[in-house]
Amino acid sequence: MIKKFQNLNITWGTALRYIAGLIVAVYLLWRILQTTSIQGSYGPDTWMRFLITGLVIGGIYSLIAIGYTLVYGILFMINFAHGEVMMLGTFAGYFVLEAFAAISAPGSGDQSLSLLNAYPFPALVITFFVGASVSALIGYLLEKIAYRPLRGAQRLIPLISAIGASIFLQNAAQLLFGPQRRQYTNPDLLWRGTGWMIPVGEKSVMLTYTGTFSFILSILLMAGLLILVKKTRLGKSMRAVAENKQAAALMGIDVDAVISKTFIISGFLAGAAGVMWGIHNGLFNHYVGFIPGIKAFTAAVLGGVGNIPGAMVGGMLLGLLESLGPAILGIDFQLKDVIAFTILILVLIFRPSGLLGETLKEDKV
Amino acid sequence: MKLPVIETQNVTMSFGGLTAVDRVDLVVPEQSISSIIGPNGAGKTTLFNCVSGFYVPIEGEINFFGKKIKGLPTHKICELGISRTYQNIRLFNKMTSLENVLVGQHPRMNSMWVESILRNKHYRQQESQALQYAYELLDFLGLSDLADIPAFNLPYGAQRRLEIARALASQPKLLLLDEPTAGMNQQETAEMTSLIRILRDERKMTVLLIEHDMRVVMDISDIITVLDHGQKIAEGKPAEIQSDQRVIEAYLGPGVDEITKKFNRKKTNNAKS
Amino acid sequence: MITAIKDGLRAGLITAIIFTFLILIGFTSVAANIIGDILGNPQVLNNETRLPVGNLLIFIALVGLFTGLVTLKKGSNPPWTDVLFRGLTGGILAGLIVGTVIYIVGSFHMEGVDFRAYLPNLGASQLGYLLFYSTPIAASKTYLLYFTVFSLVGALARKTLTMLTGLRNKLKSIKSQIIDWSDKKNFHSLVGNQLFQAGLIILVGIGLYFLPLVWGSYWNYIMGTVAIYILLGLGLNIIVGFSGQLVLGYVAFFATGAYTFALLTAPEPHAVGLNLWVAVGLSTLVSILTGLLLGLPILRLRGDYLAIVTLGFGEIVRILIRSDLLTPLTNGPKGVTNVGQPIWRGHVFSDVNYMHLLMLLVLAGLFIAKRLKDSRTGRAWIAIREDQTVAQATGVDTYKYKILALLLGAAFAGLSGALFASRNQFTGPEDFALMVSVNVLCIVIIGGMGSLPGIILGAFVLKGLPELLRELADYRLLAFGALLVVMMIVRPEGLWPGQNSKKGKMATFSNSLGEDNLEEKV
Repeated sequence: MIKKFQNLNITWGTALRYIAGLIVAVYLLWRILQTTSIQGSYGPDTWMRFLITGLVIGGIYSLIAIGYTLVYGILFMINFAHGEVMMLGTFAGYFVLEAFAAISAPGSGDQSLSLLNAYPFPALVITFFVGASVSALIGYLLEKIAYRPLRGAQRLIPLISAIGASIFLQNAAQLLFGPQRRQYTNPDLLWRGTGWMIPVGEKSVMLTYTGTFSFILSILLMAGLLILVKKTRLGKSMRAVAENKQAAALMGIDVDAVISKTFIISGFLAGAAGVMWGIHNGLFNHYVGFIPGIKAFTAAVLGGVGNIPGAMVGGMLLGLLESLGPAILGIDFQLKDVIAFTILILVLIFRPSGLLGETLKEDKV
Repeated sequence: MKLPVIETQNVTMSFGGLTAVDRVDLVVPEQSISSIIGPNGAGKTTLFNCVSGFYVPIEGEINFFGKKIKGLPTHKICELGISRTYQNIRLFNKMTSLENVLVGQHPRMNSMWVESILRNKHYRQQESQALQYAYELLDFLGLSDLADIPAFNLPYGAQRRLEIARALASQPKLLLLDEPTAGMNQQETAEMTSLIRILRDERKMTVLLIEHDMRVVMDISDIITVLDHGQKIAEGKPAEIQSDQRVIEAYLGPGVDEITKKFNRKKTNNAKS
Repeated sequence: MITAIKDGLRAGLITAIIFTFLILIGFTSVAANIIGDILGNPQVLNNETRLPVGNLLIFIALVGLFTGLVTLKKGSNPPWTDVLFRGLTGGILAGLIVGTVIYIVGSFHMEGVDFRAYLPNLGASQLGYLLFYSTPIAASKTYLLYFTVFSLVGALARKTLTMLTGLRNKLKSIKSQIIDWSDKKNFHSLVGNQLFQAGLIILVGIGLYFLPLVWGSYWNYIMGTVAIYILLGLGLNIIVGFSGQLVLGYVAFFATGAYTFALLTAPEPHAVGLNLWVAVGLSTLVSILTGLLLGLPILRLRGDYLAIVTLGFGEIVRILIRSDLLTPLTNGPKGVTNVGQPIWRGHVFSDVNYMHLLMLLVLAGLFIAKRLKDSRTGRAWIAIREDQTVAQATGVDTYKYKILALLLGAAFAGLSGALFASRNQFTGPEDFALMVSVNVLCIVIIGGMGSLPGIILGAFVLKGLPELLRELADYRLLAFGALLVVMMIVRPEGLWPGQNSKKGKMATFSNSLGEDNLEEKV
């Protein structure tokens, strides 16, 4: 142990880093103590509400973050356009729900009963499936058109291409569907703002149906992904390609196909997250993917890029930090985006390998 | 007593559970050509990386003329007078040969960025000196015709020589060469060998090299160190190494008498020729 | 034959998708308008609700020609029958798909379905135009006919062109002449004469002095914007182009410069009323300090992490500026109005004065960037860009030089921010969205990373052209995005690359040359 310390080569930069870290940590502790111990303005019900919001949004972040992590694990590039892939999923889901809402249910004499309300669950399943599939398709095309020709180029080049793709997709959506905000039409069963009332202390907190639904679905999807990666043949070849492309190719794995499938899976999850976002939050427009995209990237970094469980944990954690953070720090809720970005910067400075560590060796990155 | 150029004591480096360099002591006397040989994966390049500062050994000391250099950042080590080349050539690809050599002179210059905008006398003097020295070096390595060609477009042999030119540009006391003759034909190899000799004899430099070509190693080395599985298994003059049983075992596996004889015969033939 | 049909179908499918996309984003009518402009056709017929169908037909014909052209692969020279098949299959497929789309959409339209709620570009007027004001079936037949005929023409034309090798060689020689001309060395030998150079500089100087006086305030505004973006480009070029650090939050320095200047000179909200030239200096200084604050902790990060962190930083600055927390300081979302303007000979700066000042600064900026590039400092930066590990082992203190690059880049941004605020007499948080960073990055990359003439070219293409082609303003960002992707694939070295990269193609060196293989494979 002592030897290790002797080996530490402390330069001015690292010293500065640690001093800055210490100051931040002390300040945070002080704030937390102040807001929690001293009679704060928030009751337990408010904290509960923050917690619920954090978990729901965290589930969505996790799903998107997995996409970043999967792609980074294999290609060592940040798929900057991933948020846009999610956005197109949100649009696709919206159109499907609109269609279901516009068609009246056959068989029932009631003209005002739409297909959506007559068969809400099949309709939702189809919506999610279509939204996720559209995103998967976009992800696939994105890789094929914008990234594949750049395989083996300097590292900045695919990143710039990804930025270009992101701008393109965002503006294409604006031009195609118009710049106005749109609102999801949920089935009556899952109407936003309805839910179970949970008593907390003297008051009660609403656990919304949409939130519960989103959270459960995101957990299910993540479990599915873990099974896919751990148990199936595709998962094995994905891990092999992530480990070493040349060796994987020599073992008879079609590397290009595996990469395509990785993008399809990432897109699928992002699309599902996009539909969840729409169902839970309602309002959206073509910018909807940008902020969640960056946040999810933050989540992926937080958990350790390239590490799938890390992305899940990171997403949840970021969701919680974002909803609890402003309250704990006693700052404006406008600044919750600042919290996310600050976390990103702090993590990258102090623990670039993330909380759970990168599963990659440093030399690959 | 004269201080050795490089003296490593007990240097150990490991990655994860794998010990790449295991308690290696190495002494490189001044104005000598020393070689490190060993089978693939013996830890030769890792040792190089420790000396040039890419890795900080987890144990041991590295002294350069008696000064501790372990843990210094690589540019400080370069400033002290250690330059190196790389196993897989790493030039600044989009810069021309001339510019590559000029970058090599970076630690020997001290003009600031403001001076380069104002172009004061100090800056102009330094630039013209640097340019002159760069052309000298290119000439020395037979690259003067290729001065304005981007490094990426140079033929392979020229790239190897340019790497050496860049390393020499900082006027190092110690030059680390990582497989300087890899991939070269016989004639190019011979040229490289004589070049290394000139560096020692005329430029009064110390050269430490990693080399696979036994003919070259036996031909030019003053001292040879043999590594296997990260450990030093032998050290000595070429003749001593050739007859060392442990070295032969490391290369060929134990107990294969037939091949051992062949190896010896080949080596002696090589030494004769 | 089968490959011919396959290639044809492929080309047909791709153009059909592109054309449908263009219809859906409403580009078809814009393109038809532009064609009308170019040909001098009337925009509106006597009947005011109808647009001239001829322009649209020309556009369709052009797309058809394109289909035909891309059915033949580059460098191939198939026999005539093959070409015939390629052109026909491509055209027919594209025509069928587009025709079907038009038919379906048109039929719904005829039955009174309104698409506008979901697809705003399929309004009644546009659809009518797309249907040539006739029935859906007739319109779709026209599409099929046009695509088929012109695709065939295109394919045959390309074949004819390939046969005219003489012409091609001539084109090639012209191209190489242009390249030679832009090659600095030859250019220098051409005008190596110092007297000639001096004369040229004086002439250009006189031209630059008189232009703003002559061409009016509209042009001064546009060219002023271009000049500000050239300055920004020069600054970011030091960071991205020279030292190779991808910084996506460059707008943060622009914003700090603009806000510092605005707050120090505007009557609201603080009424500091500082001397304007001192304020310019101070805003540059504050930007540099911001750069230091950002750079010290993060410049050790790997390239793509750096991009995201700086992106986050840019957003933080914008969010903070408009947040309630800082509203007392920055005036929040309303922005700062009545930003100070310099006085020159007793008059407030006019657009001409601003233009002159900006030109002067651009020239100074170019001078500084050029001198830095060719110096010890510049070489160290480029070495870092090429291979950071090796640069450091060659004796370059990479951390120090990366910070230096960031600070100089920030200084450029701070200065242009101050000028931006002063010229507009206003600055608000929405001036500093992420798109500014992306625009400047595009300028640097599209011009050619590290290349100074490339930046000027890039700024004109990205900021000047869209102002001139107002009709295309909506499609600007879409085109940028596509352009970035295409550039990276086809020409990663940029439109006007730096002197060296022309000869050596940038992209594909194997991984072994990157930062990866430090570790010996033990």
